[in-house]
Amino acid sequence: MTASFLLRRIGYGLLLMLGVVVLNFLLIRLAPGDPAVVIAGEMGGATEEMLESIREEYGLNKPLVVQLGIYVGNVLTGNLGESFFFNQPVATLIAQRILPTILLVVTAQVLSILIGVFLGVLAARKPNGVMSAFVSVFATIGYAVPVFWTGIMLIILFASVLPIFPVEGMQSVKLRDANLFVQMLDILHHLALPAFTLAIIYLAQYARLSRASMLEVLGSDYIRTAKAKGASQRTILFKHALRNAALPILTVAGLQFGNLISGALLVETVFNWPGMGRLAFDSILRRDYPTIMGVLFFASAMVVIANILTDMSYRLADPRLRGKG
Amino acid sequence: MTHLLQIEDLRVTFNTRYGEVTALDGISMHVSEGETLGVVGESGCGKSITALSVMGLIPSPPGRMAGGSIRLNGEDLTQASEARMRELRGAEMAMIFQEPMTSLNPVFTVGDQIAEAIMLHQNVSRDQAFRDAIALLDRVGIPSPDVRARDYPHQLSGGMRQRVMIAMAVSCRPKVLIADEPTTALDVTVQAQIFDLLYEIQRDFGSAIILITHDMGAISEMADRVAVMYAGRVIEEARADDVLDHPQHPYARGLISCIPALGKGDLPDTLAEIPGVVPPLHLLGAGCAFADRCSHRLARCDSEQPRLIAHGHHPAACHAVEEGRI
Repeated sequence: MTASFLLRRIGYGLLLMLGVVVLNFLLIRLAPGDPAVVIAGEMGGATEEMLESIREEYGLNKPLVVQLGIYVGNVLTGNLGESFFFNQPVATLIAQRILPTILLVVTAQVLSILIGVFLGVLAARKPNGVMSAFVSVFATIGYAVPVFWTGIMLIILFASVLPIFPVEGMQSVKLRDANLFVQMLDILHHLALPAFTLAIIYLAQYARLSRASMLEVLGSDYIRTAKAKGASQRTILFKHALRNAALPILTVAGLQFGNLISGALLVETVFNWPGMGRLAFDSILRRDYPTIMGVLFFASAMVVIANILTDMSYRLADPRLRGKG
Repeated sequence: MTHLLQIEDLRVTFNTRYGEVTALDGISMHVSEGETLGVVGESGCGKSITALSVMGLIPSPPGRMAGGSIRLNGEDLTQASEARMRELRGAEMAMIFQEPMTSLNPVFTVGDQIAEAIMLHQNVSRDQAFRDAIALLDRVGIPSPDVRARDYPHQLSGGMRQRVMIAMAVSCRPKVLIADEPTTALDVTVQAQIFDLLYEIQRDFGSAIILITHDMGAISEMADRVAVMYAGRVIEEARADDVLDHPQHPYARGLISCIPALGKGDLPDTLAEIPGVVPPLHLLGAGCAFADRCSHRLARCDSEQPRLIAHGHHPAACHAVEEGRI
């Protein structure tokens, strides 16, 4: 892995982020709704003069291009602006919520890849076996069922039938003052349901993909070579085949990361998880432009970082890609 | 007499959408220590299936060993457990495949792949196995083997990759080495080098080699004996010189006459060929599978399967030869 490759990718990533900032800004302005009306509504009653003064105060009466210029300039200097609604800097709002979201998304991603790939490999071992049929059915269900439905069903299950996992929030109030280790366990306990809910769609997809990918690899000449050496079936599956079958899985995992973040919005809402998803939801309802753009900015940054990591792991996994730009 | 490897009346069938077809219909052949048996025939006549049967690598299902025996040092491989076959594969018998480009795992270094074969069958450390791998790469004529051992397959040429395959195959000094068209994918000068290498390996290690090919030139250089296969049967078997100089079966005659004679006057305007193709296995009838393509066809050829028996010179499965008509 060359340093120049990494630097170039980071460079592309930064350019991409700039594009995202501009596009986000323009898209949100295209959407109907006027933040001044919302803000005035919060204050109770609005005259035309009052709206005008609000627009003046927030710079909303300047030409769009000027507003864009000011915003991009601010972002470049690290200033994401003030929330119209929360009356706090956007950066502070996000800083309070980004860690729970990262925790949720990364856990869901790891869970779905690990379990999904394992199921896929088991299924590929006997393509006409019971496990294979189970993976196909499970994948279809997992893919077809909306995430909020899964979440609500799990809440019903674990709130009333089998109350072993908490169904709401990230921490128990009564453990707020406990030591760090107990708090961490508590967070993991709360994480179980939302992470599993979010993982289940992607898990099904990874299972199907790895089954297909493994089947293809298992038919290849070098697997026959490994058998001819006298390698055991486990070595062939997990060493010779999986390493090759992992390449398409990695690609999809990178692409899915963006979807996972948007899925997190729904899951956070269902489970009342204190992450960026809730913040996005609230700020969209209130036309809180700076907050929406801030959330989108960080969500895109996470996707860009995930893609750089995917590219790097791809090159680690496949020696044929090393040394190429 | 017992041979190192003896295949007796081996039948292998495959379940296909046309029903069960017989890919190998009672073939027998044998090879002794230090000997090279050439197996020739067109694509689809059962050469590779024979090799995979010996290695126990017939995909099953759909494939099935339906009868006969394969004895290695007297042990019947058709009855051996999968665990026993794993012990034998790579150690007692090894195989070199047709496609060096795709037969090596792209994500491991060639040194690791050879070392893996060594570690599977010998009780040595990883480091020792890797050092052995480097020595093997040196043995098969790869320059700066200690550097090359850390290369991945895509960094090597086709000829080098086939050398790596050979190094891997001979890493445990197998008694039987099966080379399934080892040079088909390589250019002509490299082909000669690979055959030289196989010859040296055999001289040094005393392995029996089964050389599967459709290249009669390779047979004349390498093989001691030849089995000619057609549509899942052995139709002629003899010492290589006898088959090359006095082919009996019309198919063997056809194969030999297809070799353009270089340096003997002008080349013919058109290359000789055997008309037609090997019939699909599910369409084989009761008679001789070659009858439709044969210029010596007799009435009984359509109804009666000729047996591989000696007529005059050496064994051939042909009614016309049997009746002395050719």
